[in-house]
Amino acid sequence: MIDALNEIFSAARVRTDAESLTAWGRDWTRSVAPAPAAVVFPEQASEVVALVRLANRRGFKLVPSGGRTGLSGGAVASAGEIVVSFDRMNRIVGFNATDRIVRCQAGVVTRVLQEFAADQGLYYPVDFASSGSSQIGGNIATNAGGIRVIRHGLTRDWVVGLTVVTGSGELVECNHGLTKNATGYDFRHLMIGSEGTLGLILEAEMRLAAPPEPQTVMVLGINRFGDILEVLACFQAALSLSAFEFFSELALTKVLEHRQLRRPFARAAPFYALLEFDQGETEQATAAFEACLAQNWVEDGVLSQSESQARDLWQLREGISESIAPFTPYKNDVSVKVSQVPQFLVEVEAVVSSRYPDLEVCWYGHIGDGNLHLNILKPDALDVSTFYERCHRISPQIFEVVERHSGSISAEHGVGLLKRDFLGYSRTRVERRLMRQLKAVFDPNQVLNPGKLLVADSG
Amino acid sequence: MKVLVPVKRVVDANVKVRVKPDNSGIDLTNVKMSVNPFCEIAIEEAVRLKEAGVATEIIAVTVGASNCAEQLRTCLALGADRAILIETDGDTQPLGVAKLLKAVYDNEQPDIVLFGKQSIDGDNSQTGPMFAALAGLSQGTFASKLSVADGKATVIREVDGGLQTVSLSLPVVVTTDLRLNEPRYASLPNIMKAKKKTMDIITPESLGVDVSPTFEVLSVEPPPGRQAGIKVQSVEELVDKLRNEAKVIP
Repeated sequence: MIDALNEIFSAARVRTDAESLTAWGRDWTRSVAPAPAAVVFPEQASEVVALVRLANRRGFKLVPSGGRTGLSGGAVASAGEIVVSFDRMNRIVGFNATDRIVRCQAGVVTRVLQEFAADQGLYYPVDFASSGSSQIGGNIATNAGGIRVIRHGLTRDWVVGLTVVTGSGELVECNHGLTKNATGYDFRHLMIGSEGTLGLILEAEMRLAAPPEPQTVMVLGINRFGDILEVLACFQAALSLSAFEFFSELALTKVLEHRQLRRPFARAAPFYALLEFDQGETEQATAAFEACLAQNWVEDGVLSQSESQARDLWQLREGISESIAPFTPYKNDVSVKVSQVPQFLVEVEAVVSSRYPDLEVCWYGHIGDGNLHLNILKPDALDVSTFYERCHRISPQIFEVVERHSGSISAEHGVGLLKRDFLGYSRTRVERRLMRQLKAVFDPNQVLNPGKLLVADSG
Repeated sequence: MKVLVPVKRVVDANVKVRVKPDNSGIDLTNVKMSVNPFCEIAIEEAVRLKEAGVATEIIAVTVGASNCAEQLRTCLALGADRAILIETDGDTQPLGVAKLLKAVYDNEQPDIVLFGKQSIDGDNSQTGPMFAALAGLSQGTFASKLSVADGKATVIREVDGGLQTVSLSLPVVVTTDLRLNEPRYASLPNIMKAKKKTMDIITPESLGVDVSPTFEVLSVEPPPGRQAGIKVQSVEELVDKLRNEAKVIP
């Protein structure tokens, strides 16, 4: 197999050393041991096409790999697969100012795209804590969301064209950057969020926006869980929010320790909300704060007075995931319609407090999108596999609540390996059958990202 | 004890500034404006003096267009007791500003005037020292520590290669360096209270000060872009280039 790979790639671009296999064989998830056979680093489309055809002929499996910041095991290679890393396809290959479209290779880091947009006087709004490492190809394969979805939508909303290689090795150009294109099935949207199971993304045409007004950040201390939604409604009635995030005191404590930051205000609150909005709407925002204060929904808060303060305040939210990583958290990433959130929170909390009374549970999330991150932290005394097994057994009870509210068991992290067995809580038997049939059309020999998203033949 | 804190509205420190196409200045459209970071440190220090029971009243003052009221509101929210906006749409330059502040000083008679050591837009570091000269006051510039007791201010100054401690008789001018303190966040309850604090708006004319510009900006240029690097094929080639092209090794 290695000989065959060496016919496509120069020797330096095929790696089989143990260190590389571990590094490129996994993402941020740590519960599955990486064990790929090799890692390859294509530089052009023709090499990827040749590789996929080779995989079809020789029957080996391919795992696409981007910035490896995924949290569901979508980029984990644990069974002798070939990892296809897009690290060397990291160039921005074109930009048209009239169309406001930038064409980038799959391995372009999200932050590089954001900075490129800023250099053109434009704006790429999709953003999240891992944007300094994650790549556009992976963002598209998982339809990444993040912190500005409430105003600017998901990665899906910014993709206007894709170049992909299907599982059978055919090169397909999807949508060609068009705004309007009513010519039948839009394969672009099928590829977005498909987690590398239908095709490998080589290039993407991304739409850029006009830059927003300077933003102001507010952090509020909130007394009761249920009041978070009241606060959201109060602010949304008064102004247009770019972000509405929440986190618990435990999450704040972890991030303050980890990043050596100071508290936003002296008195601790059980919960916090972080809001971002146009600077021009600061008056409306402070008025909304006064209204919330009068209702006793909030008890204190701060308002950024400069860009550096805004960044410091954002760290309180964006640093959480990294600060709890040493506790090998069991991550739940669930969503329901915003209107369902209050009742959903009550029911989830009941499950959590009855099933995890002895464990630390770290709550945070994009509450304005109905998206809740529920992280169970591993106590030092438990070993990782015992801990994960226990969490895995409890997950169905949380997912039953999700199902009752017609929610999603994976709001933005993707299904990957970790949530695959629970897909039935969010997608019906018919849907899962249609998904497998689609997979068979694009990847008839099942060479792409095996074991992710779908269980091969179950009902 | 009264503390006067002059502050300046500047382009936010984290904004990547762009030069206008005609090179006449910096493009300010859709750009975040903030309190000059060193002035923010000065306000914070004044508030700490008040919290320590040393200062009794903090007055924030600025010179500029009506939108500078935003930055004064920030100062009031952070703990200033009242604010003065000397409103002018003209070009404000260090000497003119120092003269205006001298007039305010004469009216207010503060014991300490706390400046930022420089504004991050002009980078001149002139206004504080010019003011001290006009008012005939002692000055402790680039302060990284300030203590006030028994009619004296002790200032630890950041100087080249170390620290210098000076003792100055009040009234005194102090300009703040970066390490003096870390400014607090403006709390929302304090922002609400600040709306009720007094902000006097006056004009340069009412102070009887001539602020006509003493210099004219002819052109503003962005720094030149960095030249692209090259890849060398061998250590020998690298050494050759370092020796003969860059001339950094003998």
